[in-house]
Amino acid sequence: MIEFKEVEIKYNDFTAVKSLNLQIGEGEFFTLLGPSGCGKTTTLRSLVGFINPSRGAIYVNGKDITHLPVEKRDISMVFQSYALFPTLNVYENIAFGLKVKKMPKEQIDAEVRAIAQKVDLKSEQLLKKVSELSGGQQQRVAIARALVLKPSMLVLDEPLSNLDASLRVQLRNELKSLQKKFGITTIYVTHDQEEALTLSDRIAVFNHGVVEQVGTPYEIYNQSATEFVCNFIGDINKLGRTLLEKVTAASGKTFDLSKVAYLRTERVHTLVPDRNSAGFAKMKASVTEAEYYGLYTKYTFEIDGASLKKVEIEDGRNHYVKGNQMDIYIHPDDILQY
Amino acid sequence: MTMERIRKYVTLGNIIGLIIGLFLTWFVVAFLVYPNLNLLKAVFWVNGTFSIEPIQKLLHSTRALKSLLNSFILAVSMVVTVNIIGIFLVFVNEYFDIKGSRLLRIGYYTTLVYSGIVLVSGYKFLYGEQGFITKFLSNMFPFFPAGWFHGYWAVIFVMTFACTSNHVLFLTNAIRKIDFQTVEAARNMGASSFYILRRVVLPVLQPTLFAITILLFLTGLGATSAPLIVGGTEFQTITPMILAFSKSPTSRDMAAVLAIFLGAATLILLIFLRKIEKKGNYISVSKVKSEIQKQKIGNKWLNALVHVLAYLLFIVYALPVLLTITFSFTDAYSISTSTLSWSHFTIANYRMLFTEADAYQPYIISIVYSAAAAILVVALSLTVSRFLHKYSNICTTALEYAMLIPWLLPSTLIALGLIITYDTPRWILANNVLTGTMWILMIAYVIVLIPFTLRMLRAAFFAVDSSLEDAAKSLGASTFYTFRRVILPIVLPSTLAILALNFNSHLADYDLTIFLYHPLFKPLGIAIQNATSGQTTADTQALGLVYSVVLMVISTVTLYLVYGRKSKA
Repeated sequence: MIEFKEVEIKYNDFTAVKSLNLQIGEGEFFTLLGPSGCGKTTTLRSLVGFINPSRGAIYVNGKDITHLPVEKRDISMVFQSYALFPTLNVYENIAFGLKVKKMPKEQIDAEVRAIAQKVDLKSEQLLKKVSELSGGQQQRVAIARALVLKPSMLVLDEPLSNLDASLRVQLRNELKSLQKKFGITTIYVTHDQEEALTLSDRIAVFNHGVVEQVGTPYEIYNQSATEFVCNFIGDINKLGRTLLEKVTAASGKTFDLSKVAYLRTERVHTLVPDRNSAGFAKMKASVTEAEYYGLYTKYTFEIDGASLKKVEIEDGRNHYVKGNQMDIYIHPDDILQY
Repeated sequence: MTMERIRKYVTLGNIIGLIIGLFLTWFVVAFLVYPNLNLLKAVFWVNGTFSIEPIQKLLHSTRALKSLLNSFILAVSMVVTVNIIGIFLVFVNEYFDIKGSRLLRIGYYTTLVYSGIVLVSGYKFLYGEQGFITKFLSNMFPFFPAGWFHGYWAVIFVMTFACTSNHVLFLTNAIRKIDFQTVEAARNMGASSFYILRRVVLPVLQPTLFAITILLFLTGLGATSAPLIVGGTEFQTITPMILAFSKSPTSRDMAAVLAIFLGAATLILLIFLRKIEKKGNYISVSKVKSEIQKQKIGNKWLNALVHVLAYLLFIVYALPVLLTITFSFTDAYSISTSTLSWSHFTIANYRMLFTEADAYQPYIISIVYSAAAAILVVALSLTVSRFLHKYSNICTTALEYAMLIPWLLPSTLIALGLIITYDTPRWILANNVLTGTMWILMIAYVIVLIPFTLRMLRAAFFAVDSSLEDAAKSLGASTFYTFRRVILPIVLPSTLAILALNFNSHLADYDLTIFLYHPLFKPLGIAIQNATSGQTTADTQALGLVYSVVLMVISTVTLYLVYGRKSKA
């Protein structure tokens, strides 16, 4: 188990991470999520040992590793750029850490070939230059190089951020299946919420050096603990006073008008959801904009001068155009207040 | 607890780092700071008090003042002549559609391999009183003065054609970066070729031209070989004067004043250059850049005139190279009479180079000096670059600035600083004397190469993705192992290229060598210069030509290895 206790990290006068307390379980796929400059990479680098915290301690299985040198931490890292050594071939890249450990040649060879097979690298690819590989193959080499050392944990710093969208999705799936295959504790850094939601067992959302919420992807999305988390994850409507009063009038539920209120775009309905139609607030709306994406359409409605966004999966039956008048339904329990 | 802390800091890595740090500090103080400060002291500190006596002495010396004036005249003239020729060459090569421009380019690029003392001695051999071209012109035009090639006109002639390398390198690069769509846009709005040239193209090149102009002015001020070899007694400039003054202990202070003056002028102009660089070049804002397409000159008379001038210049550039190569294959009779006939062709001169100790000795000396200096400066700069890359603190910043000192100072001043400082035992060199030994030239060669080498290697180090080092570290590699297996292989190609360029640059050095060489170990530059003096035998002259040809071959091979292969890749 990994534990951050009251960890503070400073760059001169700037505090990048403030009083961090975090626990990561054995075999977990744990993601540090947040916008640029929020402290997630700094946290990761302090775990690997590239940065020393100015206060607090980091424990791995109860052992204080806060000031242990990088090479003694038994943590392997996959870098944003993969950091494959351009002057070494694929084989030499994977064997690098084993050579440093002065392992016998035959054993190195066996280990390299075994890990290459596990990450689906063919033996003829082992002699290639790393620059001759595709993005996906490079990622597998970087992972193989990290895993061949049989580390106690694997950390990945935005390894998919330099890739195009379709390759990112493909590699995301590969990464997930590799992690399951090896069962290794994995800490993943990203600013991409979709990546975090699909890959992780648990997520820590960072903002300005502080963890705003730790939870499962479901909890983070549906029970966002703070306004920042709620805004950062997914597409959302900020509800004004007019809309809140209309919902109260239609449903009877009252809201604290001094607080901000949010409603996720997919929680606005154009048809009464048949499972529980009772508590819904029904309102008259007109379509002011329709952005068609194929799989879904993003609508903007106007309700008594207030605007409301909605995402609707295209089922081939209900499609609206600008000017259409209709009833929309909102469940007051779906409104989040902070 | 205290012992534990001490143990934590006293690691092998830290001890090695400390030793290297101490060595670098000693090197900087002993060779980059102290000699130059001592030179100032030698001038302004006479008998323990501040004095301006050497300056007054200088102001009373007509010869010295004349040399100062001549240097300025040369610098200003060169700015005009070299810019005219240089800009013309680059536009003929890169901008206008000139027939046979590929052939012309070969001629114009000869200065990249046929330069310095090789060029000056080559020009003297061809244009001198007994020269092939002078004889040819005298035969064609009986009133042509045979002794025309000396003094101001000879120096400006040599310098004009010798100093277009900066245009060939930098202006060509700048013109290739011009976004051709801006030219097309101007044409689309009805602008003529010359209007586009004046209002669109030249303004973009202006910062590069300014920078080249300042470098030209500095080259003119510090010119050494051309005024020494073809300037004669009537056109002496600062550097030959410094050389003359430095030979006598009574006038050494005047040499120092002149060197300081040269240094101050260099410093001021470099500050000015830095300001221009800071303003930056014009950066294209277009998203889709297109390469320049050669422009046809619409007016047919003008087109013809430009073609004629372009080919005349080609002859001026190519002829000395061709004749140097040709005469290097002729016997003493041909060389002494500047005549060519089939019966006098021979390879004896080349055989002499490889068989006679006297002939190949300058080569061996220069190769040893250049190779040793190139290796030493690369080793030193690698160490410093690694320090700068790894640590960023006040000490490394100070080290970096100190290492760049030679960039601000003319080589004449560096040479004089070393001569004046180390002609007596100094504690900083364990009471050894350097002046008059063969080591002083080696040290000077290393010093002048530091700024270029360090800037290039530093750039190579900083181009290495820092995550590679982190990755190696996280895989358990030590600092030294990471350097050896990861960083060094990446910077090695640049390092070897710099090594080759450094080796090349000193092989036929003259400007620094003339001040510091050991009389028993004459390097090539001196041997070539000796071959051009009036009293030499035809055999020595032949050897001078052979030296020049072999040097050209080495330079061509080096440039091909460094740039040619890179551009193919």
